[in-house]
Amino acid sequence: MSQYASSAGSQPVVKVRSRRLSLKTILAFVLFGLLLLTQLYPLLWLLIYSLKTNEEILSGSFFSLPAQWQWNNYQGAIEGGSYFRYLGNSLFVTVTTMVGVILLSSLAAFAITRFRWKYGQLVMLLFLLGMMIPMQGTLLPLMIIFKNLNILNTHLALILPYMAFQMPIAVFILSGFLRTIPHEIEESAIMDGAGPFRIFRSVILPVSIPPMMTVCILTFINVWNEYILAATFISSEHLKTLPFGVYSFVSQYSVNYGSIGAFLVLAALPVIVVYFLLAEKITKGMVAGAVKG
Amino acid sequence: MNVLKVSRWTIAAFILPCLIVYVGLVFIPILVSLYSGLLDWNGIGQSTFVGFDNYVRMLTNDSVFWPSLRRTFTLAGFSMLVQVPVALLVAILITRFVRRPNFLVSSYFLPVILSVAIIGQLWKTIYNPASMGGMINGILTSIGLESWTHSWLTEPNVAIYAIILVSLWQYLGYHILIQFTGIQNIPDEIYEAAKIDGADGFKADRYITLPMVLPILKISIVLSFIGSLQSFDLIMVMTGGGPAHATEVLASHMYNMSFLTMKYGYGSAIANVLITICLITTVLINFLFNRVDKRYS
Repeated sequence: MSQYASSAGSQPVVKVRSRRLSLKTILAFVLFGLLLLTQLYPLLWLLIYSLKTNEEILSGSFFSLPAQWQWNNYQGAIEGGSYFRYLGNSLFVTVTTMVGVILLSSLAAFAITRFRWKYGQLVMLLFLLGMMIPMQGTLLPLMIIFKNLNILNTHLALILPYMAFQMPIAVFILSGFLRTIPHEIEESAIMDGAGPFRIFRSVILPVSIPPMMTVCILTFINVWNEYILAATFISSEHLKTLPFGVYSFVSQYSVNYGSIGAFLVLAALPVIVVYFLLAEKITKGMVAGAVKG
Repeated sequence: MNVLKVSRWTIAAFILPCLIVYVGLVFIPILVSLYSGLLDWNGIGQSTFVGFDNYVRMLTNDSVFWPSLRRTFTLAGFSMLVQVPVALLVAILITRFVRRPNFLVSSYFLPVILSVAIIGQLWKTIYNPASMGGMINGILTSIGLESWTHSWLTEPNVAIYAIILVSLWQYLGYHILIQFTGIQNIPDEIYEAAKIDGADGFKADRYITLPMVLPILKISIVLSFIGSLQSFDLIMVMTGGGPAHATEVLASHMYNMSFLTMKYGYGSAIANVLITICLITTVLINFLFNRVDKRYS
């Protein structure tokens, strides 16, 4: 270190130049690094934690790596916590919601933007209003309604509200996109004798893939992670989705620290894998969702 | 301008499936909730119509309501005054200093995509006492600040801030991403023109970035506000509103009243207040920003 300083002292030009270049830059990068640490270290810590024995965790040496990687924590988490069942349930609920949202909202968006009728704007307004309504506000009445319809404690009780609350943003994004498609496209299709369903299926749908991807991503992130509705409407063990499964696993195995860590890692894993594969699409989709919301 | 002139039935076939699901699951529940807010009802037995009693009681005779409302706004305040400005600063710095920003931005964003159920449990573990392997207390002990250790989630006057910290931590990346994207969308020519006029560096940020990024800032603020009003899932996961209602916010109060004490009528009344506050503040923020926007242009 001192050697470096003295050699830098003999070459003042270099020193001055590098300092002028850097002071602000260094500060900025210190900040970036600090943030990187705070944003990612807890997740890394969890990973290490999940591979330790209870004694290692309780000994308080939290920076140390485990003496032996405790993969059996993961075994415990998978076997004790019916991880794969929760995963399957989450997958089913999310995919069904996604398909439903895409299908219904693209039909609606098509009708709002392309049909000549009086109430298009009114319907649009209704959807815009819905964006401001918090889902928790409807938690209690939905519970009452579902109880009367006898669908409480079924996956339908999750899928229906998930769909409904994703629709405003989906309709908004899709109709925003459809407005940019020139009308000549369907004019020529009409000339060829295509009806509205035909136009929707073979002209509109194929070009709407990018905005549909955005809708899919938003739906995936929101529905996959949803906790409150799942915890309120579902009580059967075999119907729980992953976020709720985390909660029940933790309350069940509250002293088995390593396994809890392992279960948390496993629960986070699917989204993280998807994020690694589609990071750019996901961030873009989330921005689009935010900006249009 | 719309070309397709179609029969009423076709329109219905396109729009009704979506509309029925949407109205049936968003607006009908709200109507139900408006009505049941006027009832004294435990959800199972007979209900009695009590008019606005629930609301009167909420405003005058509920020791949890006002503190939880205040906490809701504290959360929103921290989010708007700490999270959003920090995110803006970071976004500006990233734009200025980092040539390949994708890695940084998407790393910061990572916590956003995780479920609060996971985040909540993770931080519960982090907040654990050192004897249970908690990270924060462990670090404090090991650097000799043992007096700073707390049982973060069970001390009434600390718990809510411990939760707010988690919420700020989780969504910081979201705001960074939004504002970073906003800054990226400002055309380079403006900065070049400003440079010729002698505005560079932070001066350019003050006079160009800030006003240009205002619409995006608005989105960030609306999001953080609405997010704070709604962010009770984290609280439910971490403390359930305890200890002794010390971390209760409006939504968790509604939840506990409805599902723990089985006061459905009263819970509905709180839910209605929550929805009203959401609507009013969204409109208000939009209105304020429109005025600021006009002053700038």
